[in-house]
Amino acid sequence: MLFNSIEYLIFLPIVLIIYWTLKANYKNQNILLLISSYVFYGWWDYRFLSLIIFSSFLDYYVGQRIEEAKEQKHKKRWLLVSLCSNLGLLGIFKYYNFFADTFAISMSSIGWEVNDLTLNIILPVGISFYTFQTLSYSIDIYRNQIKASRDIVSFFTFVSLFPQLVAGPIERASNLIPQIQNKRNLNLTLLKTGVFQIFIGLFRKVAIADNLGVYVDSVYANYEIHNSSTLLVATIFYAFQIYFDFSGYSDIAIGSAKMFGFKFNRNFNFPYFSKTLTEFWRRWHMSLSFWLRDYLYISLGGNRKGVIITYRNLLLTMLIGGLWHGSSWNFVIWGGIHGLFLSLEKYTFSALKIRTFNTFGYLYTFIVVLISWVFFRAPDFHSASTIITELFSFNYGSLFIGDINAFVNGLLLLLIGILIDLKIFRSNVTLEDYGIRFSTIKLTFIVSVIIIMLCLFYSTAENFIYFQF
Amino acid sequence: MNSDITKKIIQIIVLTLVISYGLDKLVFFSLNKVSDKVMTGQAIGKLNHFLSLKDSTNLLVFGNSRANRHIDVAMLSKNGFNMGIDGIGVAYNSTLINTLNKDLKQIVLVHIDTKNFFDNDYTGSDVNALKTKFHRNPIITKVLDSTSQLSTLQKFYYSMNYNGTSIGILKNYFRPNYNFKSYNGYDGLVVTSSQEKIRDIVLAKSISNKECTDNHQINTTALNYLKSIKSFSEKAPNKTFIFITSPIYHDTCEIDNKMLNEIMQELNLTYTDFTNLYKDNKDNSYWKDATHMSNKGAEAFSNHLLQKYKSFQLKQ
Repeated sequence: MLFNSIEYLIFLPIVLIIYWTLKANYKNQNILLLISSYVFYGWWDYRFLSLIIFSSFLDYYVGQRIEEAKEQKHKKRWLLVSLCSNLGLLGIFKYYNFFADTFAISMSSIGWEVNDLTLNIILPVGISFYTFQTLSYSIDIYRNQIKASRDIVSFFTFVSLFPQLVAGPIERASNLIPQIQNKRNLNLTLLKTGVFQIFIGLFRKVAIADNLGVYVDSVYANYEIHNSSTLLVATIFYAFQIYFDFSGYSDIAIGSAKMFGFKFNRNFNFPYFSKTLTEFWRRWHMSLSFWLRDYLYISLGGNRKGVIITYRNLLLTMLIGGLWHGSSWNFVIWGGIHGLFLSLEKYTFSALKIRTFNTFGYLYTFIVVLISWVFFRAPDFHSASTIITELFSFNYGSLFIGDINAFVNGLLLLLIGILIDLKIFRSNVTLEDYGIRFSTIKLTFIVSVIIIMLCLFYSTAENFIYFQF
Repeated sequence: MNSDITKKIIQIIVLTLVISYGLDKLVFFSLNKVSDKVMTGQAIGKLNHFLSLKDSTNLLVFGNSRANRHIDVAMLSKNGFNMGIDGIGVAYNSTLINTLNKDLKQIVLVHIDTKNFFDNDYTGSDVNALKTKFHRNPIITKVLDSTSQLSTLQKFYYSMNYNGTSIGILKNYFRPNYNFKSYNGYDGLVVTSSQEKIRDIVLAKSISNKECTDNHQINTTALNYLKSIKSFSEKAPNKTFIFITSPIYHDTCEIDNKMLNEIMQELNLTYTDFTNLYKDNKDNSYWKDATHMSNKGAEAFSNHLLQKYKSFQLKQ
């Protein structure tokens, strides 16, 4: 079920009404949340519910075994069971064809023809997100940071809670399980901030991102016929499309969760207002970047084992982070670019003994991010390299407009989106808390204006970009 | 959740519904007022222009962007109008044809595309492009109501009828693209010398020797709209209906063309398929891309139509 669908518009209020009717007993609320989360996911393909249920069972059981194990080696053994099973499932469903294909190409390059080893596998929606969520649960128990859950319904709800099930934010057990295992309340702050965030999220996704996507799709579909100006504008549009698409999704997820009395961690913090790439990664898809930092970068040794190992760890973390997004070399290159520039930044900061760049840093960060987005958006390496070559050939002729209405709408909405971001960014209040500033009348007026804007400018994209990951 | 919060939720829901409803009507009626005066632009101006002159022309051309770009009505009639619109199909055309005055003597040239009739996914949603006239034109309202193309929300929020078009309308209201009084609906495509190279790449890309795997099952929705045009034509004996499919650069599939030809014969409609008219003429200057002719190609094609349909006395 998509957040921007009529189904969700009906589903959410129904679940909310029943949920708050059951307020006397939070355990009954949890059962309702679990059932509704499975309905939410099964709406897409009920067969893949079995994977979530398996993953939930596995980590519920393994978590308890890790906690109960007396010796460290036994704890480690149980952790390995969780790691191998979760990553194994992810590997089969997400990466099998990628590695099979890569293997066949490598073999053929040395003259050994291999039969087609790829399989017709469907990628289950959200598998990358809930796999990381369950993994972090087992690792946290292994690190003695949290206690294993003994309440099966609560744990299963933690894994599948529908606002964050298919595209995050990747919630930590330490934040979410205690909330699930306690009585929730809906207060005025949660209500106002939640309503505001849901509607801002819808506007970002349905109006801004989807309208920008019309132009981006038309240019990237025929990238070879477009000049540098057109490719540059399309790539800038894509940078904002993916930002408003994913941050909009996160806003709806966080806002929806607030309606149930849950507080999710924020996932975006105006990433394009960053002076360094390091800062960008503290602001972009924060639940993933902090996950990679805490469970991968630090596990590899972080910056504790010397300069060279630190750079290696940074690069490796970003390469794997890239691969997490999709089974394509383009994502690996995308991660590689980020890893390389993060390392260069680290080197520059230590060599010049500075902590950040000056105002010029905003431009530098945006350019690096922009170039890397080409690899993210282009269908394959060949097209990405063609686009990069064209961008740097400085063939800045006349701009391709295509559908003038779509282009102008995209541009106007982008401007509105940037102005809203700028206003909130400069207010020193997070988007998550922004709704509390408004009186009920003002809030309903803002929501009404957003509804009319959606009526006038909604565009119909099939999916959220991050659903594919 | 205490009763205070419950009251707040009800307050927010009720206020949002009331304010958004009021704002919606304010926006909708304002846009109605503005859009009625707009006579330029594809979003609504051309439709307004058509509705204002449809009973005073002797030749009307209906179809999609290919009709719009391929048929230079000035070469066929002194008093014709080309109502070709980008991205639309037979549903849109059928609805507009049904708005014509049955008793008037007119030649109606309908451009149809084979793809439209063999596209599994075609639902007739192109009729949505007429939604700005919902509740304002009885025939269009009837079609939109009967086909359930509009969402339930659209019946509450009328401004959805201006989805994606409001900026274009405002722009054309304050700064019209052209003088509509001298506009006959034909929008020829000019290929500049800097575009020729790209055009040649696009044309070369369109040539493939792929096996014809297109779907060959007729789309019943498209067929029903075609039958609706036929039914209208039977009630309007003074009108002459001519159906055509204009040329494309390289057709990869002939089966669908043959099948559409058979259907048109069965329906006893005057139809000529020009898909392969310039198949052997590899003059790229006739083309803007693989499906759209340049103004040079359109001139040649319009002249061909004039010769072909001499007996209909197009040039009046």
